[in-house]
Parts: sequence; structure tokens; C-alpha cells
Amino acid sequence: MSDDVIDEVGLIAKNLHASYGAVEVLRGLDFEVAQGKVSVILGANGAGKTTTLRAICNMCNSSGDVTLGGQDISRLGTAEIVRKGVAHVPQGRGTFPELSVNDNLLVGAYVRKDKEINDDIDRWFEIFPRLAERREQLAGSLSGGEQQMLAVARALMSRPKLLLLDEPSLGLAPLIIEDLFTRFTNLNKETGLTMLVVEQNANLALDMADFGYVIESGEITLSGPADQLKSDPAVQEAYLGA
Amino acid sequence: MTWNFDILPDFVFNGLSLGAIYGTVALSLVLIFKATTLINFATGELAMIGAFMVYVLHMEQGLWLWLSILIAMIISAGLGALIERTLTRPFDPADHLPVVLITLGLFLIFNALAGDIWNYQVRILSNPFGKFPSWVPGLGGDRFVMVLGSRLKYQSIGIWLTLALALFLLGLILNRTKMGLAFRAVSSNVESARLVGVHTGRTLGFGWAIASAFGTLGAVLVAPQLGGVNPNMMATILIYALAGAALGGLDSLGGAVMGGVLIGLIQAVLVMWLGVVVMGQAYMSILQLAAAFVLILIVLLFRPSGLFGSRRVERV
Amino acid sequence: MSSPLVVVAKGGAEHKRWQYVQYLYLAAFVLLVPVVLQPFEIGKMNRALVLSVAILAVNLVVGFNGMLALGHSAFMGVGAFVTASLVQDENWDFWMALPVVVLVGFVLGILVGLPALRVKGLYLALITIAQATVFPTLVNIDELGIAKRTGGPNGKGVSEEVIAPSYLEWLPGVDGARGGSAYRYWCIVLILGITLLLVTNYIRSRPGRAVLAIRDNEAGAAVYGVNLPIVKTVNFAISAGLGSLAGLMWCLDKGFVAGQDFTFLLAVDLIIGLVIGGVGTLQGSLLGGLFVVWVNDLTKRISIPLGLYTLNGDGPLAKAIFGLILILFTFFAPGGIVSLARQVQNRLIKVVPLRPDGTPAEDVDSLDPGMESDRAQSAMKLAIVGPVLLIIGWLLMNVNNLIVGCLAFGLRFSILITAPVAMLVGSNELKALAAGKRPESIKGQAGMARLIGGLGFLFVLLYGLWLFITQYS
Repeated sequence: MSDDVIDEVGLIAKNLHASYGAVEVLRGLDFEVAQGKVSVILGANGAGKTTTLRAICNMCNSSGDVTLGGQDISRLGTAEIVRKGVAHVPQGRGTFPELSVNDNLLVGAYVRKDKEINDDIDRWFEIFPRLAERREQLAGSLSGGEQQMLAVARALMSRPKLLLLDEPSLGLAPLIIEDLFTRFTNLNKETGLTMLVVEQNANLALDMADFGYVIESGEITLSGPADQLKSDPAVQEAYLGA
Repeated sequence: MTWNFDILPDFVFNGLSLGAIYGTVALSLVLIFKATTLINFATGELAMIGAFMVYVLHMEQGLWLWLSILIAMIISAGLGALIERTLTRPFDPADHLPVVLITLGLFLIFNALAGDIWNYQVRILSNPFGKFPSWVPGLGGDRFVMVLGSRLKYQSIGIWLTLALALFLLGLILNRTKMGLAFRAVSSNVESARLVGVHTGRTLGFGWAIASAFGTLGAVLVAPQLGGVNPNMMATILIYALAGAALGGLDSLGGAVMGGVLIGLIQAVLVMWLGVVVMGQAYMSILQLAAAFVLILIVLLFRPSGLFGSRRVERV
Repeated sequence: MSSPLVVVAKGGAEHKRWQYVQYLYLAAFVLLVPVVLQPFEIGKMNRALVLSVAILAVNLVVGFNGMLALGHSAFMGVGAFVTASLVQDENWDFWMALPVVVLVGFVLGILVGLPALRVKGLYLALITIAQATVFPTLVNIDELGIAKRTGGPNGKGVSEEVIAPSYLEWLPGVDGARGGSAYRYWCIVLILGITLLLVTNYIRSRPGRAVLAIRDNEAGAAVYGVNLPIVKTVNFAISAGLGSLAGLMWCLDKGFVAGQDFTFLLAVDLIIGLVIGGVGTLQGSLLGGLFVVWVNDLTKRISIPLGLYTLNGDGPLAKAIFGLILILFTFFAPGGIVSLARQVQNRLIKVVPLRPDGTPAEDVDSLDPGMESDRAQSAMKLAIVGPVLLIIGWLLMNVNNLIVGCLAFGLRFSILITAPVAMLVGSNELKALAAGKRPESIKGQAGMARLIGGLGFLFVLLYGLWLFITQYS
């Protein structure tokens, strides 16, 4: 099989279960993210959105089939999954507070062995001038929006095939959120990066996405193309504040 | 009360070099604590075993002293990594009790083994910094140099230089190598470290290895002051190192070293020198321990995260 | 035996029968100890029970509050020296000194705990290590007349002998050669019993449950209105008070206190006893004390023939073995001996809890193996195995080997369990037969199981009684 055909496949999850201790949080999810597209998972607090992303990265007690680009990644450890091309920006940013901004980006490229790492770092500093100003500052001292930029840049330093975003809008001011989501959209359009976004803020998410899922109590209750979901009355009532 | 300032530098030098050793051992403790939030009770005993390794290699087998020290440090490093791999990795990092119990168990086993093999007599170990080397102008062959009217032992200078060199190397490793970056990442946010592809287990093993090597170095440097090596040599040193680490802030590497040095200074100046001033005799171990204890209590009362530690909002 | 031998509903008649057996054994043990053992062995038992109280104290902090306390040796030391001072110098009575000692410990606990517990439990660990290490040297300070009071490095003897008053001489063992240590045993048992009762009530009370809540989820507990620093500190202080009480008992038993008895290593012994007994369980604390003393004794007996070095009579071998056992238990039995015993018990007897309305949570009958009962067969085999092991154990007694001796002891011990279990299962199966749930064919097996089991149990009781009566006079 040539690389192109494999890359077409994207992320496919079947019968994904996950539990914390005795509590089952995900009850057999089926979803996929087509190569080069953006999918979004909507849901309220506690519905299982974050757990879904963690389950993909095998960071919690989970079972089921997960394939990336045709390769089965269900049994791999987190570090191995990352090496297969998955980048995950966790809830709360997940920056390294005691490391400098520069080191945060550097460690983002941990799995890479090529020589272009420093070029990439410079490129990100061009894209995010605010980060460049704070190059040697400790990441913990950055504001919420700056940390989010840093987290995204760090995730992309590994040149991933799949980007997982966990509630990127959480705790950010509205203007910053808009800016952020615009950048996400551009990222997808310009580089064709496959993205799976988990969000509470349904409006922005559905604007950005190609396909959407709604998760409630660990099960997927709705799915469809993003603009369809946007006009769906149930979704409107529950998530779009209509 | 005779304010005997003449002899003060004596005590200060002594305090600084003891403090340097406390700082070295404190560094070992904090390296592991930063990465795992665990206190390794076996630190002292591992260091003691390392010192005994030097004893065996140098005094019994006749290898060069510094070569023996180097080999012992390497073996300690291996031992530390082995312990991490087999005994601590299987456990959930969030649950502290099992690993603490394991380090306690190791503490007992190592101490007992050393006691059984070498019994509890003090055995003399060559002083790595006994006399100034012959090529030093004017001082070659002397044990000390007169500074500010007091004797500054070559030993003290040697300890400081060694510690400085070791810290420099550690800084290089942590800041300029990939492994060091991984270690700092794991210390800062272990989950995110996994998410960038760091193998946290191996990285922790690396941390344990370095921590163990540092411990051994500290033990070897302190041996001459204790008269030699014996299985109980590190017990009180560990307490002072813990005090230093707590004082400096358990999550600050630099703080650990500073804390250790401070404890050494306080011991020497406050307790011993003041003892001479007030009582006419130097108080040795009795009050020093109590002073360290009270000091930690006071510091924690007013500055819970230590002098240099970061104020992580942990309180609820 | 994949399914348990007996299934009982909690509180049901069968369950009560099993509990009676357990209480009977406990009472027999308590009564037989001072009567059967030699005086120096009673002394060891006393020491074990004293340690049990100390371990119980540590359990309050480590097991119930989830924090590390490594310095209770210092509290014991304080209690012991205060007792010695009051009894020897001020001519107080031990019993008068008791409340004072507990109070002193309590206050000390607050002083130490308050700064440490405001932040992370980790700092408590550090402070308690420091306190344990400092204590032996503190005792020797000349200032404030401390050394004079404590006897300095030579320790302090208490010349008042704890003798039984005439109206208590009927207590088992308190006559004749064992008099002194036996009476002290009873004093210790009394204090231990009351302490257990108080701690049990404490844990079930509101503040006790707050303590447990903190262990399980500190942030959650705070959100529910639990005042963290106060609950933690008071709990620690209570624990310190109990530790001091253990010190008083130490002084009472040994009649001599010295600083070097109360080192960090003693504190480590307490932790080991706690973990191996079973963290967070009350029975575990009792077992822990026994374990520590027994293993120390055993290793001493092994060390000497093996020619291993001993320091102050406590061989390094004991330490090494403790360390090894600690590590093994952490890997394979984190719940300690109590958890292992519970696993064994669950194989034999399953207690089904009751719902609030009194009905069993699971249908006791449905857990029944049905008409083809192999329980009766297993019970009968068990009933026969018991006496056989007993006889083998008795025969092995003549072999003069330590390991064989332990084995023999274990074998003789086994009848304690096999007999009543077989008897109970036999009774149960006969009851089920009467209710029509079993085929007639099991009547013989069940009957035999009940009979042989009953005989075995009777034998055990009579033997215990015989021992008691012959030794009592």
C-alpha cells in the first residue's frame, strides 16, 4: 500500500470503552476523523470528552480498537502513540511550568531526530511574536492565552499527523478564543493537519469543523456534518443557547 | 561571655565544608523528589554502600583513590537505576506509601548487610584532600593554609571545588542534553512529558542514577571528618541533608544545595561557635540535631515551601 | 474450592456462631498466655502488646489519616521518661501518672503537628524523622537538669515494683513464679483493651469519619466542610497521646528506661509492624506488635548458631529480614497479614451484607450449590484433615529443629480452624437437607463433618481448659 492510501484513513475508533476504577466513563464509542479534516466532539461536563482523548492516547484504563492511518495503536503505550504521529494538547494546556518557553518548544520535538528543530522553533516564534518576547521566561508565568499558544506550538513541534485538542477555549477571554480558533482553521486549511477537537463551546467548534459528534454520559448520541449539527434543534437547545 | 571572633573563621570554614556535603546529599534527595515527589529513605544507605565500595576498591584492592571513587559512583548509579526499574516502577506514582515503604525496607537491608559484612567499627578511608599537592607553590605538602588568622584546610577547599565541579557537570547534563531536558520535563509535568513522547520510566531511572552517584560522592567526602566509613555514618548526615532540602525548598535543586550549606553554617556558627562564646566549650552533636529540628519547624511555620521553593498552591 | 464453604447472612444465626468461635479463641488466648508461658516469655508478650498500642497510635495517623509518621518512638520515650520521673522521683502511682502522660503526649503532638500539618503531609514525615533522631540525644542534655531526671546515658530505673494487690491475686498466672510479669501482663491487657475500645469508637464517631475522609480525598473532604488543619492536628495529637501511653506501659513493664531504647529504629519497627499487620486495620496493629517481637526473637536464635554479628543483642540480620519482608509485603500483600487472613476467610466463609431493610443483599440460598452439594464432602475431608495434621504436628515436636518446630506449630494450629469450620458447614448442610434443598445422600457426609468437626472443636476446648486448670495453681 502506498503512503497516500494509508494517510487517507485518518483516525478510526471502534467500541471504545474507558473507566476510572470501577466507574465506566465511555461505553463503546464509534467515531472517526477523516484524513485532513477537522472533527469535533461536543458535550457537557462529565460527558466523557476529555476521557475520549485520553483513551486514544492510552492514558487511562481503556479498551477498544483505535487505528491511525490504518495502523492499530490500541495496545501501544502513550509515548509510542506519540511517536506514531499523535499530538495531544491536554485540558489546562499542559505546559511545563518550570521550563522556559524555548525549552517547552524544544521538548515538544523530543521524538524527532532531524536537524530542522531549531528552524521550527524560530518559525513558531515568528508566528507567535508574543512568545518570542518571552523566550527565556518560565512557561508558568505566561497568561492563559499565551500558554495556549505555547501548548499548540509545542504540540505541533513534533510535526504530527493528528492533533488532539482538549477544550482549547477553556478559561480564555473571548477575543483570544476567536483568534485561536481562526488560527486552528488556517492550520487545517494550509497544512491539511487532521484534527480532533473536544469542546464545550459549540458555536466556534462547529464553525471550524467538518464533522461533529455529540457525547452524553459516555455514549455518542448525535453525529453528522458540522453544518447539519449546527442547525439541528436538539443541538441548538442544548449547546448553542438558542 | 568571651566574644572570640578570632576563631570564628575556623568555624565558618568548617561549617561551609560540612554544609557543602549536606548540600550534595540534599541534592540527591531533591533530584528524586522533584521527579517523583517521593522521599527516598535509602539515599543515605546507598551512599554509605558507595563509600564502602571505595574502601574496598582503594584500601583493600589498591586502586587509585579517585579511580575508585569514580568506579563506585558509576556502580552506585547503576544500582540506583536498577532499584527504580525493579522496585519503584511497578507502583502507581500517585500512591506514596508503597514506595516509601520500599525505600525504608532498602534502608534496613543495606544497613544490615553492611553491618554484617563489615561490622560496626569505623574503617579509615584515605582523605581525597589530605594535603595540598606538591605542585602548589608554597603550600605543597601542607594540610592547611592560614586565612584570616584561621586554618583553612585543603580538605575544605577540595570539597568545595569538587562540589562546584559536580554541580557544574549536573547543570550541563540537565540543561544541554536531551536526557536532561526529558528529566526536567518529567519533574515539571509528568503527564505532558508522556505526551511529548518521553519514556518516563527510563528518565526516572536516569534521575535515580545521578542521585545515587551524588550520594556516594557526598559520603566519600564526609568520611575523613567522621574518621572513616562505618555502616551508621550517613544516618545523621541524612537528617541534616533533609533539613537542608526542606529549608531550601524540596522542589528546588539550587535551593537544596543552598539549604544544605546554610544548615552547615548554622550548625557551625550558631551552635558550636556560640557554644564556645557562651559556655566555653564547643557543643557537638547534642544540640546540633535539636537545632536543625527546631529550625525546620520554624521555617515551615512561616514559609511552608522553604526558602527557595516555588509556592505551589497545595493548600485547600 | 472456588465457592466458599459456607455462606451466611450478616447477623444471621450461622454468622453469630462463627463470631462466637472467634471470640472464644481470643478469650482463650488472652487467658492462657499468662498461665502457660514462662516468665521471660510473658515478658516478651508484654513487650509485644506495648508495641501494639504504639502501632495502634501510628495507625491513627498513617492508616486512618493517610500520612507518614515516623517518629512515634519519641512520643513513647517521652511517655516512658515522664512516667519514670513521676513514679520514681515524685512517688506517684503508675495509674495516677496515666492521664498526665497521655496529656503530655497530646500537647507535644499539637506542638509538632501544627506547623507540619498546615501544608503537605510530606513535611510531617520529615519532622517526625527528625524528632525520632533527636530524641535520644535530647535525653542526655545536661541543661535544665534533664540529664539528672532522665538518668543520662545510663538510663533510669524505677524501683517501684508493680505487684498485684491482694484482691487481684485470683487473676490467672498471678501466683507463684510468674507473679510479677503476669500481673503486669494483666495491667497491659487492661490498658490495651480500653484503648482498643476507645479507638474503635473514635473511628466510628464524626471526627473519626472526618479523619478517614481526609485520607480518601483531601480536597473533597475540605469541600464538605471538614476543617483540615484542625482535624489532622487533633488526630495527630491523639496519636501522640497514645504513643506516650505506650511509653508508660513500657516503663511499667520493663522498670527501666534509657534514651537509646527510643531511637529512629524503634519508629521504623513500628511502621514495619503496622504494614505487616495491616495498615488501617485494628487487628493489624495487634498482630504487628506480635510480629515485630517474634521475628526479632527468631532471628536472634538463628544468628547465634550462624555466627552472625550481633550489636546490642539485636542482630543486623533482624533488620535485613524486616527490610526484606517489608518489600515483599509491599509487592504481594499490601494489606498486611489481616488482608491475607481475610482472603483465606473468604474462601471458607462468605458473609453476605444486609440491605437497610434487613434482607440479605444477595440471596443466600441462590449462592447455594444446589442439590448436588460438594460442600458436605469438602467439610468432611476438612474435618478429617484437622486431627491428622494435629497428630503429625505433635509427632514433629520432638525434632529439634527451629524450622520443623515452626512447621509443627502451624500444623497443630490448623485444627483451630478446620474443626469449627467443618462443624459449621456440616450443620449448615444438615439444615439445608431438612429444608429439602439437598439429596438424602449427603446426610452421611454432612453428619460426619459435623460430628468429627464438633469432636475436634471439643478437643481443642477441653485441651485449652486442661492447660488452664493444670497451670493455674
